Amino acid sequence: MQYSVILFHSITGALQAEKRLKEKGIATKLIPVPRQLSSDCGVCLRFQRADEFEVKKALEEERIDIQGIRSI
Amino acid sequence: MSMIIDARGLACPQPVVLTKKALEKADDVTVIVDNATAEQNVSRLAESHGLGVTVEEKGDGIYLRLTRPADESLGGKVPLLFEPTVLLIASSTLGHGDDELGSVLMRTFIHTLGESDIKPHKIIFMNGGVKLVTQGSDVIDDLRALEKESVEILACGTCLGHFGLKDAVGVGRISNMYEITMALMKATKVISM
Repeated sequence: MQYSVILFHSITGALQAEKRLKEKGIATKLIPVPRQLSSDCGVCLRFQRADEFEVKKALEEERIDIQGIRSI
Repeated sequence: MSMIIDARGLACPQPVVLTKKALEKADDVTVIVDNATAEQNVSRLAESHGLGVTVEEKGDGIYLRLTRPADESLGGKVPLLFEPTVLLIASSTLGHGDDELGSVLMRTFIHTLGESDIKPHKIIFMNGGVKLVTQGSDVIDDLRALEKESVEILACGTCLGHFGLKDAVGVGRISNMYEITMALMKATKVISM
């Protein structure tokens, strides 16, 4: 399974995004930011790369501020 | 595996220390001692751990043979005398300061534990920690994966009852204070979160 992660500026941001994406039926998992990446806060949301289009669309619609999306 | 420990001429508590060490590896240990005190101490150690003991006095010493019977509840496996690591989780959040942060830390900790090469022998959930093993918990999939890798998951029955969650357990099994206390005392290392 190929995954990507959404990086956030804060834990609160990560939790808000998790809730919104769940409401839209997109499965994510809250995990520590992988060692090879760095972020403002230490946690990120992992999702299946196949869902990337839906994830980006949902984040835009909900105007969720993220630090970036990286493949892992 | 069987081992023979020659504890003749050794002062207390050496015979018991050597016996304990041998029992970490072997399930059939013969200890040779040369005095009644050592014989009693080794016998007492064996009995307190539910081991079988046979004593034979020979011309050159007292031979104690300690054996660990297979346990039917473990599918006929011989139980470990000491358990390397037991993780005790007594809250659904990790640490004090902010519960939202604590919940995030617990979730990411259990996820990371699942990916770690080194896993605990048992994870014991008590007090608010039992919520983590119930349906709808954010970490239930991670805990199920750990259980598949032979990590034993135990949840305090009293605690589940207190929260009205006895019917909602989704991973591991319901345990009691006797088993939990014994698991903590048998552990060579307890990590308390």
